[in-house]
Amino acid sequence: MNLIKYIAGRVGVYLMVLFTGITIIFFVPRFMPSDPVEGYIGRMVYQAGQTMSAEDVEQLRESLRELYGLKGSLLSQYISFIRRALISWDFGPSLAGYPKPVSEYIATALPWTLGLLTTTTVLAWTLGNLVGLLAGFFHGNRITTVLEVIGVILYPIPYYILALVLIILLAYVWPVFPLSTTIMPGALTIRKLGEIFRNSFLPGMALILAGFGWNVLGMKAMAYATKEEPFVTYARLKGTPSFTIMFHYVFRNAMLPQITALALHMGMIFNGAVLTEMLFSYPGVGSLIRYAIGNGDYNLIYGTLSLSIVAVATAALIVDLLYPLFDPRIRYR
Amino acid sequence: MIRLKNLVAKYTTVRGQVAAVDGVHLEVPDGIILGVAGESGCGKTTLMKVIYGDIGFPLSLASGSVEYGFCTERGEPVTTTNIRDYWFKRISYIPQSSMSALNPVIRINRQFVDFRRNSKREADILDRVRQYVQELGLPAEAIDAYPHQLSGGMRQRIMVAMATFFHPDIILADEPTTALDVVVQKGILLLLMNLQEKMKNTIFLVSHDMGVHYQITHRMLIMYAAKAVEYGDTNAVFERPLHPYTRLLIESLPTIGDTQTRQGVAGRPPSLWSDLRGCRFADRCPFAREICRMEEPQLREYCAGHMAACHFVDRFM
Repeated sequence: MNLIKYIAGRVGVYLMVLFTGITIIFFVPRFMPSDPVEGYIGRMVYQAGQTMSAEDVEQLRESLRELYGLKGSLLSQYISFIRRALISWDFGPSLAGYPKPVSEYIATALPWTLGLLTTTTVLAWTLGNLVGLLAGFFHGNRITTVLEVIGVILYPIPYYILALVLIILLAYVWPVFPLSTTIMPGALTIRKLGEIFRNSFLPGMALILAGFGWNVLGMKAMAYATKEEPFVTYARLKGTPSFTIMFHYVFRNAMLPQITALALHMGMIFNGAVLTEMLFSYPGVGSLIRYAIGNGDYNLIYGTLSLSIVAVATAALIVDLLYPLFDPRIRYR
Repeated sequence: MIRLKNLVAKYTTVRGQVAAVDGVHLEVPDGIILGVAGESGCGKTTLMKVIYGDIGFPLSLASGSVEYGFCTERGEPVTTTNIRDYWFKRISYIPQSSMSALNPVIRINRQFVDFRRNSKREADILDRVRQYVQELGLPAEAIDAYPHQLSGGMRQRIMVAMATFFHPDIILADEPTTALDVVVQKGILLLLMNLQEKMKNTIFLVSHDMGVHYQITHRMLIMYAAKAVEYGDTNAVFERPLHPYTRLLIESLPTIGDTQTRQGVAGRPPSLWSDLRGCRFADRCPFAREICRMEEPQLREYCAGHMAACHFVDRFM
């Protein structure tokens, strides 16, 4: 009963967060200097030259506003936006790429971002934590120290520097991988999968290297401290095999904060996506966000940013609900 | 019979080595409860570590060895070098803080069996464990719980159950009840006594509490500044202590109805780093003479089974 109450409350908070976030992103782009209607009219006037009268321009502006859903007061726009966005997840047509709907843009870009960033986040977490666990558990061992030092060196390097170094080395000096992502449209064949892998390798590598160090450092510190806990000493004195001690005693306890970190990273993948996809011209949601903001495409901005808000909030919700599986001491009341 | 042969155990620190157990040489008969008493830092816990065979940096065994009085399958006597193979089979250990000695995120039943390498009959063993903890006054479901779901007393019972389940010959209990309140403490100690009576194993009980020692133990070992200063039957030690330190310890015990203010033992134990000459207790001993500061007294047997290390034992005989 308590559990149901807790979940209901937690989901309520989740919906509140979504509502607040989506409200904020509705208003923020309205303060941008770029206006899609004026941008379009500017282009029209430039093309048509003097043939357009002021009345025509005014008429065009009216019909564009109506078409783009920008008619009426800000409040009535907001209400209709919330109704569409929250209930039917419909963000309308893209303004810059009219009349292609925003959802279609997102549907094309989302698999790219999800595929690349989920894989790399999980890989970086797994590798980093494994190395960190070994480095903390076998503190002083030469091999684990070398791995740990690699993590320490990678950790403070800004992500874009790492990415640029990889691009220069592996795409320019030794052109093993393509400089920017180019993938032919067509059905998903094995050959195309290979092509996707080849194109995603550099951005993936950069993301893994950047995430790896952080995980190593966090896990190493946790594992090293956990190793000194009385229950680990007691397990050793019971004669529990080292392997069991390392995973069931040290890792199971040391991973708890790392689980939270993983979930938060998962939620933030769209933030990471913007920079990555810019640097590697990767056709994902990050590039889409940049394109939308650059063009003052309100609907596309709303769609992409709402998506990332939903991602962060959902990730946090899932961790909250799953945490007791990892730490039985957490109780819902 | 367990033989402690001239044990010298040293800790390696940045300042150099320091002997926390310095020449302890004793024979402990089988099937008794041996109480080990002494103030903090006198080497009780180090002695327990050495006996358990948990010797690793920074602790090292500079000399001596322990003979446990049982043999390997091949008939060789078990000593310090191979005791590790018998951990929790023939020698077990009850830690001080049951609060933190159990892994908080794993159920107790897993922790009950994860040290047996050949755990094919795990379900079998767990059934017997359930039965066993019931004998110890715990509900059978207690082992399916997570540690935080049990009270401090229940957890300490679980620790006792783990340590005694495989009927070991030797049990080391390093202040097993220090973290518990007096009522629970009594329950745990009675449980240990009953189990010992049934299984006839040897228990080393470390405690600061002389009252506990008086009620529970058969023999007593008093340690002072890394040395064994008195060793004998508990009754004899309490009735006729031979070493002045033991005497002062016992005199400091309160008795019900006595309104006299109790005296502590004045002064502090010597630093193990200093140049230790003569009797280590001399500086605090009200009876110390010239010879006490010059010559170290040896642990000698004065009457049957009662040993002390003092130049002037005769005074108390």
